Amino acid sequence: MPAAASSEPAPALRMRGIRKSFPGVLALAGVDLDVRRGEVHVLLGENGAGKSTLMKILSGALARDAGTIEIDGRAAALASPRAARDTGIAIIHQELALVPEMTVAENIFLGRAPTRFGLLDQPRMVREASTFLSRLGANIDPNQRVAELSIAQRQLVEIARALSLNARILIMDEPTSALTDRESQRLFATISGLTAQGTAIVYISHRLDEIFAIGDRITVLRDGRNVATQEVRSADRRDLIRLMANRDVDELVTQIPRLHGAARLRVEGLTHGHTLHDVSFSVRSGEIVGFAGLLGAGRTEIARAIFGLEPFDQGTIFVDEKPVVIRSASDAIAAGIGFVTEDRKREGLVLSRSVRDNIALPILRRLARLGIVRRAEEQATAESSVRELNIRTPSVGQLAQNLSGGNQQKIVLAKWLATGARILFLDEPTRGIDVGSKAEIYMLINELAAAGVAIVLMSSDLPEVLALSDRVLVMREGRIAGEFTRADASAERVMACAVGM
Amino acid sequence: MRAQLITRRILCVTVAVLVGACNRGADATARPTVALVVKTLNNQFFIDMEAGAKAAADSLGMELIVQAPEREIDVERQMQIVENLIQRDVKVLMLVPNGSKEIVPAVVKANVAKIPVVVVDSRVDDATLKAAGGTVATFIGSDNEDGGRMAGAYLIERLAGSAKVAVLEGVPGHETADARLRGFRKALTGSTGMQIVASQPANMERDQAFNVTQNILQAHPDITALFACNDVMALGALEAIAAAGKGGAISIVGFDAQDDARKAITEKRMAATIAQNPREMGRLAVITAFRLIKGETVPTEQPVAISLVR
Amino acid sequence: MRRIIAGREAGTVLGLIVLCAGLWIATPYFATAANLTNVAEQSAIVGVIAIGMTFVILTGGIDLSVGSLVALVGVVIGSALQRGVPVIVAIALGLLAGIVAGALNGLMITRGPLPPFIATLGMMSVARGAALMLSDGRPISDFPEGLRALATSDVFGLPAPVVLMLVLYLLAYLVLTRTVFGRYMYAIGGNEEATALAGVNVRLWKSVVYAISGLSAGVCAVLLVARLNSAQPIAGIGYELDAIAAVVIGGTSLLGGSGSVIGTLIGALIMSVLRNGLNLLGVSSYLQQVAIGVVIIAAVLIDMALRRRVQRSSL
Repeated sequence: MPAAASSEPAPALRMRGIRKSFPGVLALAGVDLDVRRGEVHVLLGENGAGKSTLMKILSGALARDAGTIEIDGRAAALASPRAARDTGIAIIHQELALVPEMTVAENIFLGRAPTRFGLLDQPRMVREASTFLSRLGANIDPNQRVAELSIAQRQLVEIARALSLNARILIMDEPTSALTDRESQRLFATISGLTAQGTAIVYISHRLDEIFAIGDRITVLRDGRNVATQEVRSADRRDLIRLMANRDVDELVTQIPRLHGAARLRVEGLTHGHTLHDVSFSVRSGEIVGFAGLLGAGRTEIARAIFGLEPFDQGTIFVDEKPVVIRSASDAIAAGIGFVTEDRKREGLVLSRSVRDNIALPILRRLARLGIVRRAEEQATAESSVRELNIRTPSVGQLAQNLSGGNQQKIVLAKWLATGARILFLDEPTRGIDVGSKAEIYMLINELAAAGVAIVLMSSDLPEVLALSDRVLVMREGRIAGEFTRADASAERVMACAVGM
Repeated sequence: MRAQLITRRILCVTVAVLVGACNRGADATARPTVALVVKTLNNQFFIDMEAGAKAAADSLGMELIVQAPEREIDVERQMQIVENLIQRDVKVLMLVPNGSKEIVPAVVKANVAKIPVVVVDSRVDDATLKAAGGTVATFIGSDNEDGGRMAGAYLIERLAGSAKVAVLEGVPGHETADARLRGFRKALTGSTGMQIVASQPANMERDQAFNVTQNILQAHPDITALFACNDVMALGALEAIAAAGKGGAISIVGFDAQDDARKAITEKRMAATIAQNPREMGRLAVITAFRLIKGETVPTEQPVAISLVR
Repeated sequence: MRRIIAGREAGTVLGLIVLCAGLWIATPYFATAANLTNVAEQSAIVGVIAIGMTFVILTGGIDLSVGSLVALVGVVIGSALQRGVPVIVAIALGLLAGIVAGALNGLMITRGPLPPFIATLGMMSVARGAALMLSDGRPISDFPEGLRALATSDVFGLPAPVVLMLVLYLLAYLVLTRTVFGRYMYAIGGNEEATALAGVNVRLWKSVVYAISGLSAGVCAVLLVARLNSAQPIAGIGYELDAIAAVVIGGTSLLGGSGSVIGTLIGALIMSVLRNGLNLLGVSSYLQQVAIGVVIIAAVLIDMALRRRVQRSSL
């Protein structure tokens, strides 16, 4: 194909008029996207705006109904994931697509393992895998099974796999959603290296901070259409939020004045093996206590121990200053504790069941007489939860799997609120959730605290912890390494404490 | 929508197969239909019986349905087949029962539907039948007990009255195999030198016989004779014995005279087998059915000759 | 939700209707009152075990031991009757044996590290062996008329086994749709960890599910013993696979969490109608097995197609 008349070379990727419909839904109504060589092009939009569908088409996982795609000026069919890969397109999935029973190296080279004399060249595979991992600054043994890795580590493996493909176009769908700040920084450095070599990157993220840190241009999608494409330099934060949501989100976090009451939960000397050492803290009613710290510092372990999911060697838990013995989830629920887990899909919801069934699950006994569910009451409970938390669903009979991430998270919250929990542990409550829903969840957390719920917030999204918490506790190697009041807590000081400086 | 289309398509194919199969029967509605239900159709014996019955039905101008459960031991399934064939309104039911007592309710159902029952090869338990108020028109089959006796007598003669003997039994409670076993044991009681050192069921199946024989050889490496209640088991035993390197050292006698067994005998790998004549049983059963339809009376016992093949 | 389940069942019901219509056209012997009663009666045997199997599969498990449990319970009843125990007591003892064996399955699965496939595979062999030991490998027969009556008498013009099956299905349907236990079964099958985190005693309820599976195998054994007037230690071989087939044809997912007992009933009926029809048509025994296999595979294909449709419309 002859070069374009203008001096500008053909872009690495040119998508024109991409249309895609599913039964009853028009997902993409003619979307255009240009990505230049060496550019980080950010794709923004709320869940359901069509970002994922567009990227599935680009990576060959879905067939488009109409529209053209050119790669380096040449028309590309992209009929299958394999075809897309051969064309030089790689994707880092948000939903981790690794085989848990295989090793890290095997996963990185899945389907194209190096061979020698027709046999697997295991040493070479391990060598090359560790090269890619160390480029990311990931301290992961290539011989470890993926099942043994944390979610953050898995995400790094996923990224290493995409890097190993030497793709000319790399799609990253929320690559940092499980990463710590430090890991994210390493990733950004890697991205800079790639763009310097001319790799084009399509970057999907809900975190505005990182978009401004690494993005070159931004394309905003809404309801399957282009809304705007602009240079990051000239973009304004508020504008972007407004463009995405088509409504003004003044600030994601609105402060509601609230009073702190008596200590609702007090933990003394919680110790378990090598994971927890003498952890003591208390949370008052109406208070939000944030736990910061690097991944593996013991945040999740505290919640799991208090909720009765993991045994602990020593320590006492007081609820309303009375010692309680918690050996199982049902003990914890009886003590008025709720736990919004980190992994929504694995531990939070029964995706194949309805919104109603999910909300009613922990309180079914209360909703039943002689073991028979009083369905009117169940329906009413679910409906009032849906109303109160503004869960967007056609009906309470809708399957949980059909709702967006933000609404799913609200179901999890609704479930715990229905139990009458007065103490809530929130572990990564906004992971993988779009900006609009995030704002609503922040609002909800504030409202809950204002209503007197004691909230323990555990998040690797430091700005989130800082914005929401009244007090921030910093975990390091299973101990509480520092405590900051809202006024004292700054990102720098908290991070310094978390890494032990 | 699409799934329903698939459903429809698959069902259409299924129905087409059924209709095609039924057309075969439909053009023969003028001819009387009789049914032969055997124990299973994965045993040469019953396949031979089917062949004999088919030949006779063709020459007599009768329509013959042959059915069997997948497993020889599945009485319940055989009962269902009989029930279904009663609904099919067959004129005569020829039956090789999978369980001599268990099949009685099915026989009674045929009686109620006024369908004469011809029992072939294995007997229906008399006392149970009487207690349930059922009747059968006739029994066609070999004297299995006599066959067992023949097998025993031959082993005594061949091994000069002295041997350690292993026995592979059939499915416990099956009249046929039980009768063979009875006959064999009776033959041996007269001879003090013949000692049965092991007697275990292998359920008339080849692979089970192989395993059971292997185990017996571990416990009794010194056996010199083996009697199996059918050839299928004898052939399984033969393989196990060969695998243990004892081929030729142990005289094996089977029952049924299947082709494979006859071949093994000519190759001197097996000593003998008792020939029943399943083809003749099938033929005689269909002829009896023909006579019953015509309203003739038939004898209540119709023995089919057996012989020793060595 | 309701629509999807109804949609699935509608597919299975449609299958049954088409099959019946085809047979009605193909043979005059099919659509008679006597034959249809006959089919219903034949479906009772596997139909009853399939209830327990549906529960187990809904929770994401599998129970391979039910066929052997049918034999064990039958032999327990048979030997009790031989010793002069009254019929009712003998049946109660048999059902108790079924429940105990099922609960043992449940304990192995929930208290130990054993996956359901392995635990029930072991029980399959243990129960078969126990049945053979208890009976010396021989069938036990000649029972009092009271027991036979269970298979031969009529209730409201229907054979007693059919009425019993329908009552049990109604009960199972109510348990699944109306009770806390029913909700727990779906939730456990859908996401066991999330259910445990919601404070549900998953171990307990899973054990109960396997005990119920043992009980339904026991009820099946009672029907079988009454029908054949004999308790055979080798009875029920392969029933577990027939029951699994009925559950799967009925649209219950082997992954757990979705399905219905009504679907299973229709699945069991489809299998009986198919076998009955093939017998009536005089189709060769070999071809019959092919046909049944084709129906099982087709049912699963339809199930997967429906699932894909549901997923697509939710994108």
